Amino acid sequence: MRENVTLSRRARAVLASEWIKISSLRSLRVTGLGALLFGVALAFLVCAGYHARWHALGVARQAAFQPVDTNLGFLQIAPLLFGVLGALVVTSEYGTGQIRGTFAATPQRPLVLAAKAVLVGGLGLVLSLVTVAGAFLVGQAQLAGAAPHASLGTPGAAGAVLGGALYLTLTALSGLLVGVLVRSTAVAVSTLAGVFLVLPVLVDSLPKGVVWRHTVPYLPSDLGLSLWHSRVDLLVRPLPAGLLFAGYVLVLGAAGLALLRVRDA
Amino acid sequence: MSARRVATRWRATARSEWIKLWSVRSVPAVLEAALVVVVVGGFVLGAGYRSGWASLSPADQASFDPTFTSLRGVELAQLFVGALGVLAVTGEYATGLIRTTLAATPQRAQLFAVKALVLGAVVWALCTAAAFAAFALGQSQFTGPAPHASLGGPGVLRAVAGGGLFLTGVALLGLALGALTRSTPLGLAAFFGVLLVLPLVVGLLPSGVGDRIGPYLPGEAGSQLWHVRPPSPESLGPWQGAGLFALYVAAAGAAALVLLRRRDV
Repeated sequence: MRENVTLSRRARAVLASEWIKISSLRSLRVTGLGALLFGVALAFLVCAGYHARWHALGVARQAAFQPVDTNLGFLQIAPLLFGVLGALVVTSEYGTGQIRGTFAATPQRPLVLAAKAVLVGGLGLVLSLVTVAGAFLVGQAQLAGAAPHASLGTPGAAGAVLGGALYLTLTALSGLLVGVLVRSTAVAVSTLAGVFLVLPVLVDSLPKGVVWRHTVPYLPSDLGLSLWHSRVDLLVRPLPAGLLFAGYVLVLGAAGLALLRVRDA
Repeated sequence: MSARRVATRWRATARSEWIKLWSVRSVPAVLEAALVVVVVGGFVLGAGYRSGWASLSPADQASFDPTFTSLRGVELAQLFVGALGVLAVTGEYATGLIRTTLAATPQRAQLFAVKALVLGAVVWALCTAAAFAAFALGQSQFTGPAPHASLGGPGVLRAVAGGGLFLTGVALLGLALGALTRSTPLGLAAFFGVLLVLPLVVGLLPSGVGDRIGPYLPGEAGSQLWHVRPPSPESLGPWQGAGLFALYVAAAGAAALVLLRRRDV
């Protein structure tokens, strides 16, 4: 490194160029806006449905009804959208060949990955907070009147909203790193869909024996459930769940970094 | 034109489609992934039920479907074969190869039919073999208290063969969606939307609404083919469900064919 190019100056330049690439990518804007609209619209639809059919539900279902869990149910699907959002930041560059230009301009590949991770993490956090909080407010406004409903002051509600946003941010970062590992949009999307959407459905029906209790709660989707769902009696507590998921992201990051340095672009 | 020349053209188209399918780097990897998740899924789910059998409720024990359980890796594999179907078309549009393909075979309907036949035959042969292997591995785990199925049991052979047939239909659905959208991200979004996101969205709706729509969704209808016991009283019968699924695939394929013949490349 030449003396006059300090690390901080290079980091600022890399951040700026990554920001230009991210903000000029149409598929990212579509996915981000789609995730926001999907979350809020689905929360609206589900809560309006419960409001309309509340009296036809039956006593048992009414007693088991959890307004926040039902409202935030879209968090079972949104990880796919946020994961794709993160993956696109890198797979789109491999798709177009832009990545070769990126690495020619900045041969310090760890720096490129760090800049991408900072931007994906920051954007993911803002977008997920707006999505989850918006969905919560819209959904609870629909439930108000007929069905039990919550506000942000209700015990556990603010925690669920923050936990859901943290979950989505971590899935966006996971998506970025999966994208680095597989370098293809199609494979990344399939992998994310498998891990976050299909696997939880598969393992949910398994008997909750000893093996289940020592494996399933540690799956990414179940750690996510720990973060936002109120029924966590068999699962990890929220704080260790968030830390463990962050640990997964770090492991993925280390693997991505190792491969990024040895592979051709 | 003589029958012989027609036959020669079909053979030539089939050979070129075969070569194109296998010369994409990700195709063998995606197929391997699909086969591995089917076979490993059978083993893991079998082992999971065996170890936790005692902790299942009597109702769950009574409704246990050993054939379906050993085949549930199909639910993961459908992501991979569907993505493969999408990529089989959109990959050609992305590289521009589609112009050469259509210049070499201007008979677009024939080209589309041969593409579907080649992809369908490959997926069917490999996935049927994987389904039988998963069944054998899964049943080998069900010893002792958990009931196990044999191929001679009522509906069992149909269900195991149905796993391979269902995955073939999924691959063809992906192919049709790829031809409709002509873009990898859009095709994948449509495919995952229909097969993965839609059932989860319907599942979030209040019961009464969801139960009425659910059985008619493509994935839910098609999956009846590899169930031995119907999962819920509202479920369609195996052949009714498979027929409805085939109708969806045929409708998507017909729409794709009409557009393929009309649109410029």
